[in-house]
Amino acid sequence: MFGRRRIELIKALLPDAEWERVQAYALTDAGFGTDPFGTDPDVLGLGYAVGYWLHRHYFRVVSSGHEHVPRNGAGVIVGNHSGVLPFDAIMLAVDVFRHTDPPRLMRFMVDYFVYQVPFLGVFFRSLGQMPGTRRNFDGLVEEGHVIGIFPEGAEALGKPAERRYELYPFSHGHVELAARHRVPVVPFGLVGAEEQMTLVTDLKPLARALRLPYFPITTTFPWLGPLGLLPKPVRYYVHYGEPITIDPDALRSVEVREHEVARVRDTVADLIQRGLEQRRDYEGAQS
Amino acid sequence: MAESTKIPTLKAAALVNPAEMATPGTLREGPRRVFVAGARRRVAVHVIERLLAAPEVDLVLGVDRGACPPALLGCDPERFIFASADLSKRREVDNLFLLDRLRERPVDTVVHLAFQGNPKGYGVESHEFNVNAARHLLDASLRHGVAKYIFLSSDAVYKIGPRTDYKVREDGELNLDPDVHPILRDTIDAEFMCRAKMDRPDCEVMVLRPSGVFGGGVLSGVNLLFESTPPVLPVGFDPMINPTSKERLGRDILLAIFLHGKGVYNVAGLTVGPLTKFLEERGIRPIRVPGPALGVVNRMQRILGMTRYHAGFHPKRLYFSLVLDDSRFERIFRANAESVLALARSPDPGP
Repeated sequence: MFGRRRIELIKALLPDAEWERVQAYALTDAGFGTDPFGTDPDVLGLGYAVGYWLHRHYFRVVSSGHEHVPRNGAGVIVGNHSGVLPFDAIMLAVDVFRHTDPPRLMRFMVDYFVYQVPFLGVFFRSLGQMPGTRRNFDGLVEEGHVIGIFPEGAEALGKPAERRYELYPFSHGHVELAARHRVPVVPFGLVGAEEQMTLVTDLKPLARALRLPYFPITTTFPWLGPLGLLPKPVRYYVHYGEPITIDPDALRSVEVREHEVARVRDTVADLIQRGLEQRRDYEGAQS
Repeated sequence: MAESTKIPTLKAAALVNPAEMATPGTLREGPRRVFVAGARRRVAVHVIERLLAAPEVDLVLGVDRGACPPALLGCDPERFIFASADLSKRREVDNLFLLDRLRERPVDTVVHLAFQGNPKGYGVESHEFNVNAARHLLDASLRHGVAKYIFLSSDAVYKIGPRTDYKVREDGELNLDPDVHPILRDTIDAEFMCRAKMDRPDCEVMVLRPSGVFGGGVLSGVNLLFESTPPVLPVGFDPMINPTSKERLGRDILLAIFLHGKGVYNVAGLTVGPLTKFLEERGIRPIRVPGPALGVVNRMQRILGMTRYHAGFHPKRLYFSLVLDDSRFERIFRANAESVLALARSPDPGP
């Protein structure tokens, strides 16, 4: 009964063409309608319906370069992370799902703390998002999925306002794993999320006590209660770059790996600059 | 150059033990004589029944403390012997291998199912039994020329938490936390004893790690949870599991008995899904309590006789997923099931 109501809700939220895309997304049924990773098609559909609305009407995402996202087979999508709450990841996943045919679900390598939080962990898993372990990465690549990685880590979400669009150091895992599996790295630069919330400070002792990567105090949270966590409706600009083939020597040499990581990071930085320029032009033209 | 291309002589070939040459997954030759330790367990009764249904099995020796289980009382005495013995005593274990019926043709396979894994009343005596039975049974098997030794371990040996992989392979991280329940420590210790002997050329030592086992009267965590009235789960968590059934596990143990192969293997059910879906499928409605209250509620339920499930045994089990990857067992053993005549005649039990 609840499932039927949920399906009705999804149908009501989505245009017919998008509903068909949701229906077209093929999951490998592991026995109870979920795939081996725990992705639940109903939750995925509902998530996409809400995400689609946010993508189209709230954040009004402008994106380009979708042709670089692999149409089939595995790939790693890597870029910047920001915005206190991970709306950037949601918008990216929706953007890729919307603009690929057949639709592709981006599976992010998620920070472990998410899976310790009641309901949140189950929700993330039902959306097909996995804890960021090497084995999970291997499993996703073996099954030909598109994997999203934020090499700056969850800490980058709590980036202070004065460090906007400054990239934190990239971890090396994505380069190493991409080299091992010989899969392309598709870089992206996302502009807009940095302005959705303004971080005033990070309450580190409280974050440690709650086992969170950070505890944000923003200009609106906790002063306005849970409503303070609502992001500003800023427009997002996303640019996907050309796929980068990682030198297999990155597995053997630290220098090569560092060089490859720097190459990915520089490309992401360039794509962010491109997004900032586009935003200037776009918003200048509008005003 | 000449060294590397040297053709082995007949004498050299004769010195190589057949167990070393056996390809994993191929059928072991000749009729089987199987020693099943822990014959009173439900899984053991099922395995013995299936073994006795196979004409390739010459004799089954079932051993446990206490009387023969009623389900096995009617078995053909020419092919089944039940012996009551304390496996924690070395001499008693040795005497079992020296029975008159085994003098001419000794036991060739030992299946250790006697591990006491029930947290209820677990004390020093159970600990001593687990440690000593595992040691004496393995030592005696190696001394008496047993060609295959199988130890049924548990998936509880794996460390679980938010970092657990979506599928856990045999080389997954073990729970070596010193504060774990003593049963888990004993299980891991028993596994390590087996691992230490895995390179023996004359005996294939095998450890099976089954996921939770469903089946009437089976004392696995998942089965006890499902038999609770009602099962109590923490709010906001719904782990992924792939439990197996008594029938499927029995079939897997039979494959391990009949086919060559050694090492550590996961064995699991076919279906992977959230815990609540398995409950829904059986028409069971759990109640949810906040995580910190789970232990207290479980204790109350146990006092009131509403459950035999012990939440403190594997505390993270109801919070985080544990899905076993048994593709190795599938590839080496289940893929060759048709070569095992006893299994070819019986229907596949499914998940």
